[in-house]
Amino acid sequence: MAEKEATVYIVDVGRSMGGRHHGRSVTDLEWAMQYVWDKITCTVGNGRKTATLAVVALRSDETSNELSEDPSYSRISVLSNLGQCLMPDIRKLRDAIKPSNTNRGDAISSIVVATQMINQFTRTLKYKRKIVLVTNGTGPMSGDGIEEIAKKLVKDNIEMVILGVDFDDPEYGVKEEDKDPHKAQNEKLLSEFAENCQGQYGTMEQAIAELDMPRVKLVKPLPSFKGMLRLGDPQKYDSAIQIPVERYSRTYVAHPPSASSFVLRSGTTGGEPEGESGPGQGDTLTSVRLSRTYQVEDASAPGGKVDVERDDLAKGYEYGRTAVHISSTDENITRLETSACLDLIGFIRQDHYDRYLHMSNTNIIIPERMNDKASLALSSLTHALWEQSYYAVARMVTKENRPPMVVLLAPSITAEYECLIEVQLPFAEDVRSYRFPPLDKVNTVSGKVVTEHRNLPSEDLQKAMDDYVDSMEMDYKDELGNDALPIDDSFSPLLHRIESAVRHRAVHPNDPVLEPPEILAKFAQPDPELVRQSKQFLDELVSKADVKKVPPKTKGRKRQRETEKPLSGLDVDALLNQEPERSKRISPENAIPEFKQMLSRADSIEAIPDAVKQMCTIIETQVRNSLGNANYDRVVEEMGTMRGELVDYEEPALYNDFLRSLKEKILREELGGDRRELWWLLRRSRVGLIDQNTSDRSEVSEQEAKDFFSPT
Amino acid sequence: MAEDNYTWEEGDFEEEDVDETSFRSVKDAVLFAIDVSSSMLTPRPSNDPKKPGAESPASAALKCAYHLMQQRIISNPNDMIGVLLYGTESSKFYEEYGENREDLSYPHCYLFTDLDIPSADEVKALRAVAEDEEEANKILQPSNERVPMSNVLFCANQIFTSKAPNFLSRRLFIVTDNDNPHADNKSFRSASTVRARDLYDLGVTIELFPISRPDHVFDTSKFYDDIIYKTAPSDGEAPAYLHPDTNTSTAKGDGISLLNSLLSSINSRSVPRRSLFTNVPLELGPDFKISVNGYLLLKKQEPARSCYVWLGGETPQIAKGITTQMAEDTAQTVEKSEIRKAYKFGGEQVSFTTEEQQALRYFGSPIIRIIGFRPLSALPIWANVKHPSFIYPTEEDYIGSTRVFSALQQKLLKDQKLALVWFIPRKNATPCLAAMIPGEEKVDDNGVQKIPPGMWIIPLPFADDIRQNPDYPRHEPSEDLIDAMRDVTGQLELPKKSYDAQKYPNPSLQWHYRILQALALDEDVPETPEDKTTPKYRQIDKRARDYVLAWSDLLNEEAKTAFGGTAATKSTLVKRGPKDRADSAGDAADPPKKRVKTEGDAASLDDEIKRSFEKGTVAKLTMPMLKEFLTSKGRSAAGKKADLVDRVEQYFEQKL
Repeated sequence: MAEKEATVYIVDVGRSMGGRHHGRSVTDLEWAMQYVWDKITCTVGNGRKTATLAVVALRSDETSNELSEDPSYSRISVLSNLGQCLMPDIRKLRDAIKPSNTNRGDAISSIVVATQMINQFTRTLKYKRKIVLVTNGTGPMSGDGIEEIAKKLVKDNIEMVILGVDFDDPEYGVKEEDKDPHKAQNEKLLSEFAENCQGQYGTMEQAIAELDMPRVKLVKPLPSFKGMLRLGDPQKYDSAIQIPVERYSRTYVAHPPSASSFVLRSGTTGGEPEGESGPGQGDTLTSVRLSRTYQVEDASAPGGKVDVERDDLAKGYEYGRTAVHISSTDENITRLETSACLDLIGFIRQDHYDRYLHMSNTNIIIPERMNDKASLALSSLTHALWEQSYYAVARMVTKENRPPMVVLLAPSITAEYECLIEVQLPFAEDVRSYRFPPLDKVNTVSGKVVTEHRNLPSEDLQKAMDDYVDSMEMDYKDELGNDALPIDDSFSPLLHRIESAVRHRAVHPNDPVLEPPEILAKFAQPDPELVRQSKQFLDELVSKADVKKVPPKTKGRKRQRETEKPLSGLDVDALLNQEPERSKRISPENAIPEFKQMLSRADSIEAIPDAVKQMCTIIETQVRNSLGNANYDRVVEEMGTMRGELVDYEEPALYNDFLRSLKEKILREELGGDRRELWWLLRRSRVGLIDQNTSDRSEVSEQEAKDFFSPT
Repeated sequence: MAEDNYTWEEGDFEEEDVDETSFRSVKDAVLFAIDVSSSMLTPRPSNDPKKPGAESPASAALKCAYHLMQQRIISNPNDMIGVLLYGTESSKFYEEYGENREDLSYPHCYLFTDLDIPSADEVKALRAVAEDEEEANKILQPSNERVPMSNVLFCANQIFTSKAPNFLSRRLFIVTDNDNPHADNKSFRSASTVRARDLYDLGVTIELFPISRPDHVFDTSKFYDDIIYKTAPSDGEAPAYLHPDTNTSTAKGDGISLLNSLLSSINSRSVPRRSLFTNVPLELGPDFKISVNGYLLLKKQEPARSCYVWLGGETPQIAKGITTQMAEDTAQTVEKSEIRKAYKFGGEQVSFTTEEQQALRYFGSPIIRIIGFRPLSALPIWANVKHPSFIYPTEEDYIGSTRVFSALQQKLLKDQKLALVWFIPRKNATPCLAAMIPGEEKVDDNGVQKIPPGMWIIPLPFADDIRQNPDYPRHEPSEDLIDAMRDVTGQLELPKKSYDAQKYPNPSLQWHYRILQALALDEDVPETPEDKTTPKYRQIDKRARDYVLAWSDLLNEEAKTAFGGTAATKSTLVKRGPKDRADSAGDAADPPKKRVKTEGDAASLDDEIKRSFEKGTVAKLTMPMLKEFLTSKGRSAAGKKADLVDRVEQYFEQKL
């Protein structure tokens, strides 16, 4: 459990906070509130009941606090008491925090009020106590009893943070010119106070600048396995080693918060909720529920399917297309029975391991805590692996009856820490053998091996590449001066962007979403300095590489043309021409090849519409004769082929006309009844009207093509 | 349907096998066409006296088909497979469906397994013919009449057209030892080339698995070079110069080696290449891009999820679930477009419009942008979060991509460097920082490529993904102790001192399908699973025994000197057998003063619990004892005391 927290934010809302200074477009209060909101929403976002906070307004128009009977505590009002802060509180605070009409109210007094609040709330319980004061330091401040107050804070274990608008901070490099002497005096007072109570004192500019720095959440390490690292079988052999170990995550992907689905509550008609005023925004949504129904195929039923009750269903699996049902008594029959273990299989050479075989996140294996002998034993193994340049391969089961994994255990020894790094290795089934030709030579059809080819780099190109790569070497070392990668400086863009967007929207529901802070894209581009240095080498590489972008138009057909010959290069078209029947009529059972061949051999413009016409007839017949959806996939394929060919032959109108007439016929149920399912399939298969984006010759706009498919 | 092929990774929006531009569904259909001739049926005896046995090419081919069928049920449950025998005396082609009324449209073509997702019965039938000679003899009778190849090809054409319309990948695997079927008949020959062209235009790829005869080397130039095309038009992602290397892997030799090389060659083509992303620019510097495709060569294979089976009909049927979304308050169905996303925050929902949600997730279009180079050694062994992606150049968008990629890969290989890249694999994918490392080509013993040459992209963890290391007391071992352990580890190197994934099938995945197969085929459920990941205990004992004992003695000694009586130890490191019991009792006689938990020594704990079990008083033991005992045996230690007692008793009962 995380520690309980009690934080009081004291916000100076004095009239002078409403001013704008030093070229800032926002008022001092708005500026300071960026910091306060960030802190508050961060606490809210944790969603912990025990993370409590309160907000106190200083130099407010009104006075409302426990000590208000004493006039020195006037103009201080408690806006919210300590407690978990929720959305309604945020809205209340947002409305309440406005510059007041007064400049009176003592900041030191407000600290006393806050201390009182914390002590009343937390009593003697274990809490992380904190007071944050943001002010521009222009109000009246009385130094009476300030030392006792500081002592009290230390005694009560309350952390004090004072942030001032345009406060001087030589360390950060902020110095306000022409500073008001009264403010300068206050700054001195506050800074001494902060020092006396061992608190922090700083200028607002620095605090705001640091807001963009993503906060990395620390997760308490929890073991995912506790057991024996074994070598050999202790049940059977007395020569087996057993070392008690524990396993913890080394890396674990931090996912962004997940969104759930909602719809507008019925009755709230349309309109963006952002357009509505903030309050009640959350109430206009209602959650979306999933409901599942089950169907089985039944040729005799209309539509070929019937609904079945969930209660009539048994659990099972598919073996190929056969359904295998598993009775409830055998529920775990397909599960391999295993016991938790970490068993060494053998050892491999580090230089015989390919780093890309890492399949998962990584864990560490350390000795059982508080077990000195285990620590000694495991360390001897870790050192042995290290010295021999070995990795260990082991079989691991983290919990009883979980599937076994094969893992790599790599020794990791530094001055600070020693452990085995564990990562999953692929099983035989996890390796897909896709084959690719070699990159350093070309095998020709005739079986010759060629080392000079347009797909291979020339000596010049290789040289230019070598120089460029050398010139783009990054300089990045860890604390010990070892080669490293900038992992610690890279932050998950999605995680931090969504978290900050949610927090921002909670406070400012009407603002558009913010652009991501620069730090998240720090590694999106190479360092400009590096780019400058390597420019000449890049230019050389570009000229030697002679890479040409393929114009989008020629991507498809033309370039494949050259491959339309068998390996021997035989002219099959000539053979096709010898079959007179083929040049006239497309046979329905061999429609796609014959359609393509007819187009490719077309010697006159008329041949194309004729081929299309034959194809259309074939398609319509297939639709008409289709039992249920039996022929639909075939129809989609034919339509898709026709569409692609007619785009290539720049005859989009022929296709579009056909599709329009097909739609008519389907709507009027002229093709053997209800064929809406086919229409849905065509839509999903993206074989719609050919629009202008796809073909210059088309007269159909993108929108028109889209609308054509939309349900009316 | 295409949508069924969307595979979602846990918590990760990684889609695989989705082609956004094509109307085709991303599935694969493989039809085996196996030549049944007397030479194909002649058994070839083994030359190896240690492994006697004879195998005919035809039966090797059938075994391969059976093997592939079984494998695809596990790895590609949506893909189709079929087996067509040609040159047989008898003929069979959908007569039961009556679609082709003229009975013998394809004489001497025997469609043994129709092209479909295999059913249990089909698996059984294929196994019978592959493994049972008598069964095989019923069908494998060569006809006297030579079957025209044009007929075989058109027969395949019809099977693909009707059974696998709209598949992105359709492949015809021809297994034959006849390199010139129509040497004497010119018209048959030209008809065959025309039918082959039809297949090409249909988008069917022909893959030839040639078998050389003992006295004659298969020569593709005689006939098959007219039949086979460089790439099928639908396979737009194959590099333009990729030749199907028909002549590199001609199977030859005796039956067993023939089977092995055929298996290896078919395995390597068992799955069609499917890309993870296509034509993504690889940006080497500002305004200098080439194009690459991405593939998943390593991907954790999980058993298919369980489904619901309807038992109301004659045969069990899979029930298809249909999910509808409805509003909580009105229970009305809602359209996708009405749905908006909201995040829980401060007890309420903070919502975004769909456009805003998209904008939040958008970090630019797909790119692999090199931001610099570093030595490979800069990549820490722990810096990993998931499997890598493999990339290979394509000339589709940029001509010259291949030579530039090749130059880069060779430079990185030579200097052992990596490129640090900013990686957005697909539209709307989240960017990450990744290490791009060069990969060398690797081939197996049969010369078939195992790992292709290219580059691997390894996504790096962000600072947010790194966990803190928990503290523990470190104890530096002495040089002697380390050396003693080196003696142990040095004895136990794996073959070739490297990890070969092929040797370790996933035991739980195999068991799952083994059981399903037994249930589906109505066979006896096997009792013991085969688990190749289990260490070879006997060998470990044999090879390392003396060294382990030496290490153990040294360890005990050092532990005693270093920690003395105050050592916080709990368990023995070496469990001694009965004859050494006295020795370990010596340990126990010197009980640690600072006890972490209630007891000192695992051996004595084992004994105590065993005694309790024999007396039937396990229930009287304390919870910490039960827990430690169960944990040390790899059993779950969760639950109430009664559960733990049950489990302990079960443990001993199993052992008896």
